[in-house]
Amino acid sequence: QNILTVCFSVGYSAVALNNVIDFKEKKQEIIKPVSPSELFPSLPIVQGTTKRIKVLTRLTLIVSDPSHCNLLRSTSANIRLYDIIAVFPKTEKLFHIACTTLDVDLVCINVTEKLPFYFRRPPVNMAIDRGIYFELLYTPAIKDSTMRRYTISNAISLMQICKGKNIVISSAAERPLELRGPYDVANLGLLFGLSEGEAKAAVSTNCRATMLHGETRKSACGVVYTVKKPRKVEEEETVPACKKAKTQA
Amino acid sequence: MVRFKNRYVLCEVVSEDPRCRQCIEDRALGLAVRDAIARVHGDYGLACCSISFTVKYLNAYTGTVLLRCRKDSYRLLCSALPFVRYLESRAQRYPCFLNTLHVGGTIRTCQKFLIQHNRTQLLRLLQNCTNEEERQCIQKSLLSCSLTEEQSQSGDEEEDDGTE
Repeated sequence: QNILTVCFSVGYSAVALNNVIDFKEKKQEIIKPVSPSELFPSLPIVQGTTKRIKVLTRLTLIVSDPSHCNLLRSTSANIRLYDIIAVFPKTEKLFHIACTTLDVDLVCINVTEKLPFYFRRPPVNMAIDRGIYFELLYTPAIKDSTMRRYTISNAISLMQICKGKNIVISSAAERPLELRGPYDVANLGLLFGLSEGEAKAAVSTNCRATMLHGETRKSACGVVYTVKKPRKVEEEETVPACKKAKTQA
Repeated sequence: MVRFKNRYVLCEVVSEDPRCRQCIEDRALGLAVRDAIARVHGDYGLACCSISFTVKYLNAYTGTVLLRCRKDSYRLLCSALPFVRYLESRAQRYPCFLNTLHVGGTIRTCQKFLIQHNRTQLLRLLQNCTNEEERQCIQKSLLSCSLTEEQSQSGDEEEDDGTE
């Protein structure tokens, strides 16, 4: 909760809380996400505007086996409750599957160790067409020097393939001091090989697009959006009256 | 006309420890930033950035820092600022981070931005105010802040932040 208050004071307008599911352990149930209203009784207002800050929920699946992907297609109700779904592929085949056929919003790129596979152009281009974004984390880079090298080398190799499009930079902060402001994160993007405009987009417009992508996934391609309306009891009473009038006349 | 062009980077020191703010010194901060540049960009980066590198302005109450560097190397400086993790002074380490607010070409533009920024911060504090006299205090300082010839005005409004 401390982390969130620091986020808001630094100037972010939407935050996503992440739940990580690792499939190496035995069968894990996907837990329900913590609803944001439990954490904050009333969400504070964004600096400079009058809108409230959005807190979203996000799920990350660490997949190292194709059978794990079946979980995404299952009808587990809890998956629907998450706003954004991200997948963390460990092998080249899974990266290919994630970019082309899986129904996710984000593909996480490993920054903590040397990539076991090289990126190829076809799956990356397909992912860009489908609107899937690639995610890089920056907190390991702040903590440790060897992680920094892996982060930069993986990020630059990704840039060379995708030309800087569809990148989202996010933090995996566990403590409030590992967070950085949006301007600083955009400057980090410069280190990763992005141009200045692309780096700013990686923090602002691409993230917004990911949120919208998550919403379209929830609501049938963004066309139909069902909302539960409270039933009005009065309407039901008037209908039989009209019917009676008709039959009498 | 030949003139050395500088960039002034306005940052804010954010930290959890309330004692950290009181012992921010310009030397400690300069050392921390140089250290971060050396770790990220190496000897070349450090040498490039320290041609005209100084801490121009420091406000311990609000944690506002103004750094100066050459226009050619301000990108190296800006990209190394997220890597500052702690400030060291008097043999004590305080974990903190720097939040970049604004980059400007002159001190005057940075000052204008800082006054606006402080005004919005005061408004936010006004919302969270519980005490009536604190409210009066903030409202008075809000009405009186503006860019004048003297530097004392901006000093007044920032001191109210310190008393909160």
